[in-house]
Amino acid sequence: MNASSALEELVKLSGQVERAVVVDANGAVLGSTEDDAAEAQRLADAAGRALAVGGELHASTEAVRVEIELAEGGLFALREGGRTIAATTAPGATAGLVVYDLRTCLERIDAPKPRRRRVKVQEPPEEGDEA
Amino acid sequence: MRRLIRLVLLAALAVWAWRYAVGVRRPAERATVAFPDGSAIVLERGSPGFERLAAEARSALGR
Repeated sequence: MNASSALEELVKLSGQVERAVVVDANGAVLGSTEDDAAEAQRLADAAGRALAVGGELHASTEAVRVEIELAEGGLFALREGGRTIAATTAPGATAGLVVYDLRTCLERIDAPKPRRRRVKVQEPPEEGDEA
Repeated sequence: MRRLIRLVLLAALAVWAWRYAVGVRRPAERATVAFPDGSAIVLERGSPGFERLAAEARSALGR
């Protein structure tokens, strides 16, 4: 399943997630529930910065999950397997369920297929050639 | 004296009602950060780092 389809399904089934975006390890948007690419990038950037801020709180490692619950809503970001999924919710969302839904969505997205390389196979010399 | 007691009781009741109403309406604001080793920290309003995380969340929520 591609990222956009998985995110559409997430929003349909979750009931708590309002907007969501998936980005790759380089920060490029793989899929989003947003029609506006700039909005999708803004959500992705905010999630990336939140993970970076979270990482600064721990001396030895980076953050893999950030859940920020505010009176005006929530921001959730989850990093797994080189990809990051970020979502916003309405106020009072159940954090555990949102994280479960995000993880499930991320698992449904197909891993990028490795590029097939053509390898030139050298044919063995025929027996008659040696003479 | 009775007037004073009545006044104190009324004030206490008003404070309790105000705190109850505000507490019910406003959901708890907090941030949870988890790390690959399985550890996690929970930040509440006023703790270091919370406001920076809250600012990022607000920028994502504000359309």
